[in-house]
Amino acid sequence: MKLKDSFSPFLIALPLALSSCCDKQSCQAEKGSGGASQETTLVADGSDALTIRQSLVRINSTIQVWSASQPWDKSAPKKRRALGALLSGNRVLTTAEMAADTTYIELENADNTRIIPAKVTAIDYEANLALLEPDNGDIDSFFEDLVPLSLGSSAKIGDRVDVWQLEDNGMPIVTDAVIQSVDIVSSFANGHFFLTYEAKGSMQSASNSFTVPVVRNGELLGLLSSYDAKDQIIDIIAPEIIHAFISDSADGEYIGFPSLGIAITSTVDPNFRDWLKLSDDVGGLYVTKIRKGSAAQKAGLEKGDVIIEINGMAIGRRGYYSDEQYGRLYWSHLIRGSLKQGDKAELTVLRSGEEKKVTAILDRPEEPLVARDTYDQPPLYLIKGGLIFQELTAYYLKAFGKDWQRKAPLNLLDIMMTPEDYEEGRNKIVFLSAVIPTPATTGYERLRNFIINKVNGQTIADISSLIKAFEQAGPDGLHTIEFAEGPPRTIYLDAKIADVVDTELLKRGIPALSRE
Amino acid sequence: MHPAIAEPLAISSLAPLETSASASLPEKTYSSIVRIEVATQVPNYNEPWKAGRFSGGIGTGFLIGPNLFLTNAHVVSNARRLLITMHGEARKHPAKIVHIAHDCDLALLEVDDFTPFMGLHHFQIGGVPKLESQVRVIGYPVGGNRISVTRGVVSRIDFNTYSHSRSDQHLVVQIDAAINPGNSGGPVLQDGKVVGVAFQGLRSADNTGYMIPTPVVRRFLTDIEDGRYDKYVDLGISDFPMFNPAMQKKFGLTPTSPGVLVAAVTPDGPCDGVLQKDDILTAINNNAVDAAGNILIDGEKVNMNEIVERKFSGDQVNLSIIRDGKSMDVMCTLKPFPPSQMYAVQYDVKPRYTTFAGLVLQPLDRNLYSAHNLTNTRVRRLFTHYLDEGIFKERKDIVILTRVLSDPVNTHLSGHVGTAIESINGENVSSLEHAHQLLHPEKSPDFFVIKCEGVERPIVIPGDKADAASQRTQSSYGITTPANLSN
Repeated sequence: MKLKDSFSPFLIALPLALSSCCDKQSCQAEKGSGGASQETTLVADGSDALTIRQSLVRINSTIQVWSASQPWDKSAPKKRRALGALLSGNRVLTTAEMAADTTYIELENADNTRIIPAKVTAIDYEANLALLEPDNGDIDSFFEDLVPLSLGSSAKIGDRVDVWQLEDNGMPIVTDAVIQSVDIVSSFANGHFFLTYEAKGSMQSASNSFTVPVVRNGELLGLLSSYDAKDQIIDIIAPEIIHAFISDSADGEYIGFPSLGIAITSTVDPNFRDWLKLSDDVGGLYVTKIRKGSAAQKAGLEKGDVIIEINGMAIGRRGYYSDEQYGRLYWSHLIRGSLKQGDKAELTVLRSGEEKKVTAILDRPEEPLVARDTYDQPPLYLIKGGLIFQELTAYYLKAFGKDWQRKAPLNLLDIMMTPEDYEEGRNKIVFLSAVIPTPATTGYERLRNFIINKVNGQTIADISSLIKAFEQAGPDGLHTIEFAEGPPRTIYLDAKIADVVDTELLKRGIPALSRE
Repeated sequence: MHPAIAEPLAISSLAPLETSASASLPEKTYSSIVRIEVATQVPNYNEPWKAGRFSGGIGTGFLIGPNLFLTNAHVVSNARRLLITMHGEARKHPAKIVHIAHDCDLALLEVDDFTPFMGLHHFQIGGVPKLESQVRVIGYPVGGNRISVTRGVVSRIDFNTYSHSRSDQHLVVQIDAAINPGNSGGPVLQDGKVVGVAFQGLRSADNTGYMIPTPVVRRFLTDIEDGRYDKYVDLGISDFPMFNPAMQKKFGLTPTSPGVLVAAVTPDGPCDGVLQKDDILTAINNNAVDAAGNILIDGEKVNMNEIVERKFSGDQVNLSIIRDGKSMDVMCTLKPFPPSQMYAVQYDVKPRYTTFAGLVLQPLDRNLYSAHNLTNTRVRRLFTHYLDEGIFKERKDIVILTRVLSDPVNTHLSGHVGTAIESINGENVSSLEHAHQLLHPEKSPDFFVIKCEGVERPIVIPGDKADAASQRTQSSYGITTPANLSN
């Protein structure tokens, strides 16, 4: 993938997939038996144990995603369990991974004695954070003896932290870990990199431990986003990111982290540097792409510019700057971790060897031509006479499996890789995803993955314009559908037969003929 | 030239074989089925400067005329030495290829000295065997050195892919006798006549063999009559079935009307300027074309391309069409279409390439595609649409950066390998030769700036360092020939 808000040379951490074998039986906390390693301590009694049990909330999510091939259907539901950190105001902090595409979420106390339904009040798929609040039910008694955690300040390398987990029986487990490094990591939605602490510690996987709170000095430091069992590395979403997320959500309207809207590459290659006329005393990042409508474009940044400074911080040849607190950090933290929408980013760039100052007013990027993070958004579609049209999303392409970059249709992949070649006149790509064999679609059964240019003479910019274009067939009673490529370039649909078929399809159990 | 369509062969040297008891051929006839021993040198498309792999194998051939041995093209492809052995003899006779047709997997060989073969039986080419009729496959398959005979029944006659070129489809006869390596090129006999040439099997199914039927063999023999093989010709159109009621209504047709939709015409192909998109093709050489693009020949429904299959370069085909509601006849003159070689596996050629400061550039074709793991979306698109989007008009070759041989001048490149070269110093690259010229100018520029398709950051090689880098990489990677621009 070429278009990214930011780019990091680091590997994306694998999501934690520890099995939990909890059933819902209620267990009282008892004296623990064994399981304690050098670093993991079972805290059976004392005030610590009580604090942990009072500040942790179990989260049970039912997740159901939409079917890519039959966009009116949802696929089979999956269940996930995790622990959230209780914050003031009856709010529970967890990862977006636990809250995205959920059909039902409930909160459960540590002792498994109380359950309450919950709703998502703020979610950031990019930063992998979500806030939950009770939805209805006896809120007061659920939170009665619970004690919220306060948010802690940032840590530094070498600090010791505690990872909190709960056994099935409600027994707290505390894992001692040491922060080893600080990095920019993408933990959920692909290609979004945020400040992450990497701590070394040996976690217990037998317990309910899918995304758990990490605490320092009794205050919430961050959330565990992934655990590499082989290297015993715990990825922790940093407090700066959590602070920004929580303060953004305070007014009830969540905006999200800003972006510059560029793709870059390093300037390590000495030949490349000579050609760019970069002197040895500067670093610099070479701008390879600027997203349409982005803050960078509005600020007048150009492809081929070399960014040498962001807000007074010199940017190195590989994109690192010297952070006062964390040492060498990737440049994207200067934008996505330190600033919010509306803030200014002062960039110093070299353009054809000349130094220029550019001020970007940060904002949220517009949704790209091929939407990438479509969590909680059902696919948009239209069925006409058995032809199934959809708006193209990354989700559709990724449904071709692990090897989707080879298996997905080439023409659709190409749009994902180089959307700028297709943006003219389009908000989205509408394509024929499949054909249901009906009397209206005889002979068209094998057509699929064709991009739609026009229907009944009208240019198709998105699914809404497609629905509108189908409202009026030609004078001969035929709908004319023009593809961007072929063969065939044009097909026709008998409007009357199509309408009959559509009625029939509704009777056959398709819940709706379109979603826009 | 004239097509050789199934004219019956009157004379048979053998009596018809009616019962299984009469199945065996006279010893003398076996002698005309020869063992072909091949030593090959297979080019290396991964490291094209290397000599390639030396290998070899065994195949079968048979005598169809004075010093005319028919076999499969794939038996003798990339051959460096050919030896022919008669059944029951030890002597190996040096042979050479007279004609080879990779698109239909047939080749004609001759021995340097035909004297020992004088007086041997010459096989006659028969017709297409009937479904369910029995045939015999004779050859030198694996599992022994002597001749082997297997028997099978004709189970299917259909258009199918010829795996030798991977891009050609012709008539194929399927039989329920296994065709094993070594059988290739051997005759399939019925009533003493050749009804096919054994040529491929099926990996996923036992006891399924395929043979090249005689219409394809006859076409090959006719094509080479002028001393040269001109290859198959093609209409260069895509058709789309006229099944949909709305489609029929749009074109003023009824459900029973003949005619298939011309959905696309290959630019510069034989039908470019003759047919147009949205023409309805109703007949080809007065054979009515149905809504699915089939015609009726000898009581059998076959794809309309079967007419063209039996034609030759320069032949004309009469096409009856409906254009904008009007019926008319147009003439198409068939001609070879070299850009289609992009999709055919190449044999007997040296891979083309050039090198520059450790960069290895090769033209895209089927061989390259198979040798390298080309996953770049743009490259895959250029390959897929090379013909139908007319890319070949601008770009004789799609030049791929297949390798970067590490050298101080190029170690910091990433993401460029496996992409297509778009331009060099601002000039769009149209062929490998063109790229080579741009990279080896008389006077070096300050920088060579190489832009790869889909990669914004160009490759930059300083002009004054390029020569030394080329020298270094050639010596450290053992490249004795830095470029091969033609094959």
